[in-house]
Amino acid sequence: MNPLIRTVAVCMWCLTAIPAFADLKVATSLSDLASVAEAVGGKHVSVVSLCRGYEDPHFVPAKPSLMKAIQDADVFVSVGLELDGGWLPLVLPGSRNPKIQAGAKGFVDASEGVNVLEKPTGTVSRAEGDVHPLGNPHYYLDPLNLKIVADHLAQVFSDLDPANASDYAAGAKNFDGKIDKSMVAWKKELKPYAGARIVTFHKNFNYFLERFDLKLFSTVEPKPGIPPNPRYLNETAESMQKAGVKVVLYQPYYDADAAKQLAQKAGGAAYEVPTEVNGVPEAKDVFAKFGFIVDTLSKALGGK
Amino acid sequence: MRSHFRSLLCVFLFLFSLGSFPVQAQTRSIISNLANPAIGFNALFKAQVAPDLDQPYGIEFEEAEISLISTVDPYWTLAANLVFAPDGVDPEEVYATSSSIPGIGLKVGKIRGSFGKHGLLHTHAFPFIQAPVIMANTIGEEGFKDAGIEAAWLTPLPWFCELTLGGYHAVGPDTDHPLDFGSSNHDNIPYLGHLKNLFDVDDNTTLELGGSFLGGYGADGLHHSAYGADLTLRNVPLRQSNQQGWILQSELLARDSWNNDGSFASHDAIGWYASLQYRWSQVWWTGIRVEEAFNSFSDVMVSKDPATGLPNLDSNGNAIPVAGHVQRLSANIAWAASEFSMIRLEYSGARETPDDESGTVWDNRIMAQMNFTIGFHPPHAY
Repeated sequence: MNPLIRTVAVCMWCLTAIPAFADLKVATSLSDLASVAEAVGGKHVSVVSLCRGYEDPHFVPAKPSLMKAIQDADVFVSVGLELDGGWLPLVLPGSRNPKIQAGAKGFVDASEGVNVLEKPTGTVSRAEGDVHPLGNPHYYLDPLNLKIVADHLAQVFSDLDPANASDYAAGAKNFDGKIDKSMVAWKKELKPYAGARIVTFHKNFNYFLERFDLKLFSTVEPKPGIPPNPRYLNETAESMQKAGVKVVLYQPYYDADAAKQLAQKAGGAAYEVPTEVNGVPEAKDVFAKFGFIVDTLSKALGGK
Repeated sequence: MRSHFRSLLCVFLFLFSLGSFPVQAQTRSIISNLANPAIGFNALFKAQVAPDLDQPYGIEFEEAEISLISTVDPYWTLAANLVFAPDGVDPEEVYATSSSIPGIGLKVGKIRGSFGKHGLLHTHAFPFIQAPVIMANTIGEEGFKDAGIEAAWLTPLPWFCELTLGGYHAVGPDTDHPLDFGSSNHDNIPYLGHLKNLFDVDDNTTLELGGSFLGGYGADGLHHSAYGADLTLRNVPLRQSNQQGWILQSELLARDSWNNDGSFASHDAIGWYASLQYRWSQVWWTGIRVEEAFNSFSDVMVSKDPATGLPNLDSNGNAIPVAGHVQRLSANIAWAASEFSMIRLEYSGARETPDDESGTVWDNRIMAQMNFTIGFHPPHAY
């Protein structure tokens, strides 16, 4: 073989060959799902999340590089309930990977089995903003829902890689146990503030609030997906003042100025908390994420 | 008689009792709508003030589009975009796709050929109200739309590198197709090649480089071709993907003809555009575009009598268009209150010099466009 051709061929192989150290290559739409998949799969899986934790999961740019990232995946875990519906319909077929298309064995809808909140009854109208017709998709803000996801993933991983089924089952069991243990501590920390009302930017904390006996007072955006105007912010601040609500939560991908402006007008404070893993540097996995949220809320509601 | 009456009464009561069952039968219909396709509907309206055009001012209905999409079975997905415009109904796209072949995306039906960048866009997704002049003079104002089949191979290279090959039905020139692919010879299968490369410059920025080719034989016996090269630099800050960003895009398109013996026949048209779109906030966009097209037709360049300066008319009394050199500047500002509505205001000014040297003409326009979507709408490509 011509040396030049041989050199080019070797270079091309080096560039294209993707090492397959893991038994299963797993891709997820959200970083929380990646965190759960890592906990369940352990050393048997390599995991990549398409949405970074600091990105708005509703509006992930459907970059072709995302298609490339899942070209060889064995499993794709979608958050479901149409939260990734604005970009996944492009990315998934764009990967040209038959193993992870909807309906294939490697496609997982992580919302299966979850008790979905705010399922619309009757007509769904966009006069109410960009409502999710299948219900509130931010179920991953309830730690207990992640146990359901973990058990689901263990089953899927076992079906695709039966040789390591016992490890996957053990991974899910460990994860579930760690969640239960952490829940005791998180609940204890927030117990003094049971019934407290807070404001969030979007209705993405509802699962968390319900689990930890907190209440949603209002949102920074007047309706899902609709940015606030000065009049709305003034009215909301006024009602917050009357009700004594002082805590506003926002995410790294929302308009921090609007959240801070509202909090200032209401005589309170705005806090940046992640909804997804890696939303802030401290939120390395789902446990660190919930720990960060609980600590922040505890301090905020305690006036510290 | 009495027994007959009794029999009739029994039959009547039997039939009457049957009548009470359909209520239950209807609620247990064997016909289900649960597998109905996702349906979307988009409507475009435009108002225009154009002193250089012989057209009335006012609001006009541009088009409405019904989109349908659903999975057919585990192997195929079927999609359709049916366009209703003042001049009629056009099944603009009706195609099936399959992702069942590893590495290959298959598309078959009436499709929008994978040529360039702007040619892939639906009218309501145009970044400016008007398509670049060179589009209508090369592959079509709304791209190359024809029945055919395309296979797009996602190569195993480390970056996103996609090679698309397509074959289409022979189609003659019309308002949608400036290219003459109308030869009825059996060896005339218009064909397409498209290479798309996309690199992540950093987390927020991508660079896309593409090249396209489209060819086929015309009814005039010549081989007609279109070429395209595109470059797009796009920035979407991941932390503000719904609030900020910009797109710098440029495209060069050309069309020419070749004789059967392989010798060059003519340059038919060539042109380019460069545009910048900038997103200020969640709801505000603005954009500017410059463009140039040679040997191209437009709305205002018509053949004129040198003596009188009046337009020369064809047998139907219509002015005869002539090709020329067009330079145009467009600028717009758009307000997108939500993902499903947009209102934009646009100015475009064009300086046009007909090739017959009948003198420079201008085409200044101020336009407003309203864009509304209801129901499901598939996400637009990156």
